[in-house]
Formats: sequence, C-alpha cells, structure tokens
Amino acid sequence: MNNAPHFTYRRGSVRAALGLTLVAAVLVLGACATSVPPPTSQMAVANAALAHAVGAGSAELAPVEMAMARDKMSRANLALAAEKNEEALALAQQAQLDAQLAEAKAEAVKARKSAFALQEANRALREEMARQPR
Amino acid sequence: MTHIRLASLAVLAAAALAACSSTPPQNTMLDLARSDYSTAQADVQTRTLAPAELKQAADALALAEASLARDDRMAQVDQLAYLARQRVALAREAADRKASEAVVAEATAARDRMRLAARTREADDATQAAASARRDAAASQQQSAAAQQQAALAQQQAAASRQQAGDAERRSQALEAQLRELDAKKTDRGLVITIGDVLFDTDQSELKSGGLRSIERLGSFLMEYPQRKAMIEGYTDSVGSDSHNQALSGRRADAVRTALVGMGVGSAQLLAQGYGESHPVAGNDSASGRQMNRRVEIVLSDENGVITPR
Repeated sequence: MNNAPHFTYRRGSVRAALGLTLVAAVLVLGACATSVPPPTSQMAVANAALAHAVGAGSAELAPVEMAMARDKMSRANLALAAEKNEEALALAQQAQLDAQLAEAKAEAVKARKSAFALQEANRALREEMARQPR
Repeated sequence: MTHIRLASLAVLAAAALAACSSTPPQNTMLDLARSDYSTAQADVQTRTLAPAELKQAADALALAEASLARDDRMAQVDQLAYLARQRVALAREAADRKASEAVVAEATAARDRMRLAARTREADDATQAAASARRDAAASQQQSAAAQQQAALAQQQAAASRQQAGDAERRSQALEAQLRELDAKKTDRGLVITIGDVLFDTDQSELKSGGLRSIERLGSFLMEYPQRKAMIEGYTDSVGSDSHNQALSGRRADAVRTALVGMGVGSAQLLAQGYGESHPVAGNDSASGRQMNRRVEIVLSDENGVITPR
C-alpha cells in the first residue's frame, strides 16, 4: 500500500483503488516492454544464419533478401542496446529466417545455373556427335 | 471535483489497459501468410519436392493462427505471421532447387550415356579398323609369300638359264674349237672345209690314208652335231676332159661320203656332188694353181641343217 511514490494516503479507499489501477496499468505497460530477458541465444543463432548465408554466396545471388536480413540484425542489436529485449528477440527471429531464405534462394540460383550449363553442354555434345563422319 | 477526476482517471486506466492488449477481428499479415501458404500448397512442384519445408510453414502458420485466436497483441500475431510467410518462401525455394538438381542428375546421366555411346562407337570403329588391318596384313603376307615363291622360282630359273647359257657357251666354244681344228672357213655359203690334194692320188678316187685324219675329225663333228648337214663337193683342175673330170670329182665326193657313213655318220646328213673343173679357186696355168683346184669342199650347214646351194 505504501509502494506508490507520488501518493500519500490521506483520503479513503477509492483513491487507493484508482492508484492501484494506474500502477497496474503502468506495470502491464512495463510488462509489454521489459519482461523478456536479453535474447542472447536467439541473436547468436541469427548471426550464425547470416554467416552461413554469406558463405553460400547469398550476398551476390540473393542481395535483396540478404540486405533485409542484415538490416533486421542491426536493428535487433540497437534494440538490445536499448534494453528493448522483446523487440530485439522479434527482430533477431526475423533476421534468422530472412538469412535462411537468402541462402535458400542462392542455392536455387546455383542449381538452376548448373542445370542450364549441363543442358547446354549436352546439346553441344549431341551436335558434335551428329557431325562426326562414320 | 472528485467525481470528474475519478471518471478521467478511469478512462485513462482503461485506455492504458487497452493500449497494452488488442483483439483485432483479423490481421493483415496473417491474411497474407494464409494466402502465401495456400498458393504454395496448390503448386505441384512445391508440394511434391518440398513437403517437409511446407509442413514447417504450415506449423508456423498454425502458431500465428493460435496467437490470433488467443487475442494476442497485434505485434505478436504480425511477428508469427511474418515468420510463417518466410517459411512458405523457404519451401518454394527448396522445391525450385530440387527441381534443378533433378535436371542436373538427368543431364549428367544423359551426358554419360552419350559419352558411353561415343566410346562404344570409337571402340567398334577401332575393332573394325583392327580387323581390317589384320585382313590387309594377312593379304599382304600372302602376297609377299607368293612373291617370295616367285622370286625363288625366278632364281631357280635364272640359275637354270645361267647353267644352260654356260653349257651353251661351253658347247659353242667346243664347237668353235672343233671348227678351228677342222679349219672350217666362213664363206657366204656357210662354213666350208677345204680338203686339198692329200685325199687322193692323181686320177684316183680312192681315199689315201693321209686324208683320213681330216675325214675322221669331220666325222666326229658330224656325229656330235647330228642336226648339221654336210654337202661334199668334189673339184678337179682343168687337166683332162670336162666329162672325165666331172665323173672323177663325183666319184671322189662319193668316196668321202662313204668313208663318213662308214665312221657312223648318218647318211641323211650327207650329200655328195661332183663339180668337175668348174668353180676353180686358182688359175689352172700353174702347177700350184692346179693343185689348189684339186680339192674337196665340204660345206657345213647351219645348226638347222640348211645349206645354201651353190
């Protein structure tokens, strides 16, 4: 009852009830912002996903997706620094999936290029064999 | 005053509470997520090639739906819906990659089949070429064997010819030697052996022993070369009458002929003819001339038995 810094209890229980409501509101608002611990493991996972995507050549082959992932990650870092843990968590989760998507797209591009190259090579080989005299 | 403050405080409290949790009837991001998912689910390639990734997307979508149903904050539903959308996109990329990998696998197999066909064709060509080369080699071996046989035969023939030539050479040398011994002279009629006065006494047609040696040599010759013929011609000098000399010369020629036949010469090889005083070889006015005219000439045929008649 004595935990509200700005009120002195002189009047009756009605004020006390209102104060409680406001305190509760502030606490709930505070809960929305700071009840999540710092998401260090999720951020590590997201960083790993980014590095993995870079290794797969995503920077060249899926630049848009990669830029999105990096942007989310840097915003997550800023949120973490500002102790906005829930925001940092959410951004890190998004950054992880963005990086995974960038990598998947890079792999798809590489596979498509291989397929095309092989088909072209086969066409050339077929022509070569047809040209040869018997 | 307290009533107004109470009311405004209550409104503030309600607003504060309301700001912390919202229950929207729908969520735009979740709508997008649902639509993305159903499109991906309807795509045969994604459904067939990336079922695991599609399942993960369905699970993520379910989380977002549950969050909405629980009346979670919009931000929370948005977050889960966004993650679900990214998982749907992941499934589509995975399917795309696997489709290309299948093409790579088939193209690699096709390339290997073509290379195998090419190598098989090369091997067959090489085998045919080798067989053909072997046939050619066998044929040329046969040819070379035949050629060798021919060469050997030719060598034999050459040796035989050389032998024959040698023999002929020897025979001709022998013949020449004999002809020299016989003192046969080459004339336009052929080879002529002239036997002079020694054969007969004067006016006689009996052979003297002094002439026999020449007859013997001639006889040996004619017997060795039976294809040679001899024309025996008797001549006299001009002493005496023509008819007398004609008869005498004829008798002398016959005597030579008889002597030769007696030696063993075939009679068919011999002809005897008297020519009397005709065809003198010297003047009859001197003793030496007359002696020269008294002679027997034996004309030898060529090797074919042909005598050119006088």
